[in-house]
Amino acid sequence: MNALLLLMGLLVLSYIGSFLVGGRALRGVGLPSGSEYVALGFVLGPHVLGIVERSMLESFEPIVQVLLGWLALVIGIDYGFAGERRVRPKSLVLGLASALLTGGAVAAAVMAVLSRVALVPTTMDGWLLAGGLGAAGAETTRHAVRWVTERHQAKGKLSNLLNEMSHADDVVPLIVLALLFAVTQKPAQVPWQVPLYAWVAATIGLGLVLGAVAALLLGGEFKLHTTWGVLFGTSMLAIGTAARLDLSPLSVMFFMGTALAAVSPHHTLLREAVAPTERPVLLPALLLAGARIDLNVLRTRYVIVVILVAIVARVAGKFLSGLLVRVTRAARSASPAVGFALLSSGALSIAIGLAFALRFPGIVGDTVLLASVLGAVFGEFVAPATLRRVLVGVGEVPDAAPESTRAIPTPVSPGLPVSPARPAAPSTPAGEGS
Amino acid sequence: MSNAAAKVHPGRKVLQAGLLVVISGVLFVATRAVPEMHGGSGTIAAVGFLLLAGTLLSELVEIIGIPHLTGYLLAGILAGPHFLHLIDHRSVERLSSVNALALALIAMSGGAELKMEFVKKGLKSLAWSTLLQSLLVISLMTGVFIAARPLIPFAKPLTVSALAGVGLLWGIMSITRSPSATLGILSQTRAQGPVARFMLTFVMTSDVVVVVLLAIGLTLARPLIEPGADFSGGAFRRLGHEILGSVSLGTTLGIVLVMYMRLVGRQLLVVFIALGFGLTEVLRYLNFEPLLTFMVAGFLVQNLSSQGEKFIHAIEQTGGVVYVVFFATAGADLDVPLVKVLWPVALVLTGSRALITWGVSRLSGRVAGDHAMVRKWGWSGLVSQAGLALGFGGVVAREFPSIGAGFRALAIATVAINELVGPVLFKLALDRAGETSRAPRPSLPSIRPPPPAPE
Repeated sequence: MNALLLLMGLLVLSYIGSFLVGGRALRGVGLPSGSEYVALGFVLGPHVLGIVERSMLESFEPIVQVLLGWLALVIGIDYGFAGERRVRPKSLVLGLASALLTGGAVAAAVMAVLSRVALVPTTMDGWLLAGGLGAAGAETTRHAVRWVTERHQAKGKLSNLLNEMSHADDVVPLIVLALLFAVTQKPAQVPWQVPLYAWVAATIGLGLVLGAVAALLLGGEFKLHTTWGVLFGTSMLAIGTAARLDLSPLSVMFFMGTALAAVSPHHTLLREAVAPTERPVLLPALLLAGARIDLNVLRTRYVIVVILVAIVARVAGKFLSGLLVRVTRAARSASPAVGFALLSSGALSIAIGLAFALRFPGIVGDTVLLASVLGAVFGEFVAPATLRRVLVGVGEVPDAAPESTRAIPTPVSPGLPVSPARPAAPSTPAGEGS
Repeated sequence: MSNAAAKVHPGRKVLQAGLLVVISGVLFVATRAVPEMHGGSGTIAAVGFLLLAGTLLSELVEIIGIPHLTGYLLAGILAGPHFLHLIDHRSVERLSSVNALALALIAMSGGAELKMEFVKKGLKSLAWSTLLQSLLVISLMTGVFIAARPLIPFAKPLTVSALAGVGLLWGIMSITRSPSATLGILSQTRAQGPVARFMLTFVMTSDVVVVVLLAIGLTLARPLIEPGADFSGGAFRRLGHEILGSVSLGTTLGIVLVMYMRLVGRQLLVVFIALGFGLTEVLRYLNFEPLLTFMVAGFLVQNLSSQGEKFIHAIEQTGGVVYVVFFATAGADLDVPLVKVLWPVALVLTGSRALITWGVSRLSGRVAGDHAMVRKWGWSGLVSQAGLALGFGGVVAREFPSIGAGFRALAIATVAINELVGPVLFKLALDRAGETSRAPRPSLPSIRPPPPAPE
């Protein structure tokens, strides 16, 4: 297949994605993680049909960087908000704790395995692998809770709390990513002696500066048509500069998004504007991630063990997070299995896996990508069903009515572009429910 | 100075200058920290930087009445490999793939701007201008080239017949215009009036004429430049195939676009990208002329359906960003050292071309009985040259290797001057003719956002 046809295919996918942006099309339809597109990419990739070859994927690396970067920008602009509401401090703390607990559990478990088996050549590779798997496993996808609440018309304190937690945990893996990319700076490439913390600061600082630049360029009066030029220009500059300096473009773009949302007086309108672009960007990225999966990595001894340990540790970490959640008033009556409801991972997790595969080609990158995809597929089987059961248990899902007879909720805020990141029915006002 | 320029907010301009320094500083540090890049990250950063810097610089130079397009070019020149080296040669080469999309948008937009009623009204003027600008400018510029022989290094050793052949090719190259520059200025100024209408119609249709004359010129010049070569009609057959095929495919594309806009009407950005990159590649494979194909498609959408305005609006929304990157890349691609070497002869040739174009324009305006403003300012938009002239230089370099390199270098030097001076002249003319719109224009380029799904 030639590269042009692949580009056209990706455009078609974006096109389809744009029709799945808002309204009824997305609500409760498809899988929260988007694993079906990863599977499609895998089938098209070198391992099955061979339509998309590895060399072609390498030539598409800049496009992948841009897609991932834009995704991180959307997440950054939306960070700390669940729909139109700010995430409450308690949910924020719980979300961060859950991500730290889960990511830490995964990294520790993997390091424990690596201390016993000789899988990677150097200690640094071991830290990279453990850190990468931890970062990829830390989050709960923002779409999962929304997917369940919209599909089953869930309303209540617990669904709000879980929804807010899923909107609060993204910062943890992205800081870890910034750290891991900074640790592996090649001193020979950069002529100046720069300590590790300075590279991490540079990652965050670059994002914050360019976010502020974008906000100042947008000015005091919000004009939608000028917004795209500014966002596109600053994003490309940020992604390209980060990649040039071997920093994490995902982290830079996330912090750029948060700075933009913080500095610009139009953060609500910005969120409304960029949210519909997430799906058209996500689908080609997931497809390319699927095509990039290299199953040959499984031939290396102990890789499968490391991946299984990472998944089990992730389950344990989320279970512990669930116990933590049950301390709150909103979740006190919930089943102890509430933590399993947080197992859904998706866009960010796979994006981290893909970023790792691009930056650390070989056993480290390929293992992290494969583990992130398998983790997302595993979460897909477990989390939505568990979440539904938990919400039924606390009376937040009207489980009596058959699904086919339920009306699909109408989006809120008529007149504004429908944001896929907005939960369908935020019923509990801020301050309640925890 | 334009109306837009008259409303200068000093605070805003200072802020824009500050932001320009900040983004330049970011890229400066990155390029000094990691001077050599082998991946695509340099290109990604270059796109972003050129878009932002081009936009900001165009806003700043607007204070002194210089058009945005020149600001984009200046941003590219300053950031490019010959000055600050924020963007290297490799990135500039990679960015040239944006040209396909930009030219597709420019051609579709140009075709869509050609409303049948205006074409009919201005047919007499168009016919006289095309005839006189083609014949007289080619003849006179051939003469100028021959006369300037002592100044042109590669022309000195040529025989008289070879010199005449090369002069003929130079004459034909002199009638190439820049539809992109014309549309860029018209888009910025939103000019309405006889000069704007005439220039749009003339520049878009002159492209077709240039393509035909190029084929004729190559066929006639070959036996003069290469004594052993025979006259061959093969070029005309190829030309017929190219024009007929391009018009046919353009018609089909126009019908498909009309149907799409009626039935779906959304996500035109994705459609344009697919056309710009995908269809252009197909057209090149078929040896058709992309510019003509897209122009016919745009013309059809405008004149045979009710979707014209919507179509133009969609292209404007998408094109804003693409044009900035396109022109800034053209600036970065300018071979400044070459211009430094060849500037005396390039200045003679560009000066003569401008003078001859002015004289012929006055003559054709008088013969056709054009509007007074067209007679006075109708030449101003014909000075700009860009991609087509450079493409012509490349074709000559390929077809006549003995003189090709020198011819191409001189073409680049003259196009560089015309590219910088032409837009300034055209904008000045539109301002003086009173055709520049007083409506406020968005200060930054735009991409049309994806609209919400229908409920």
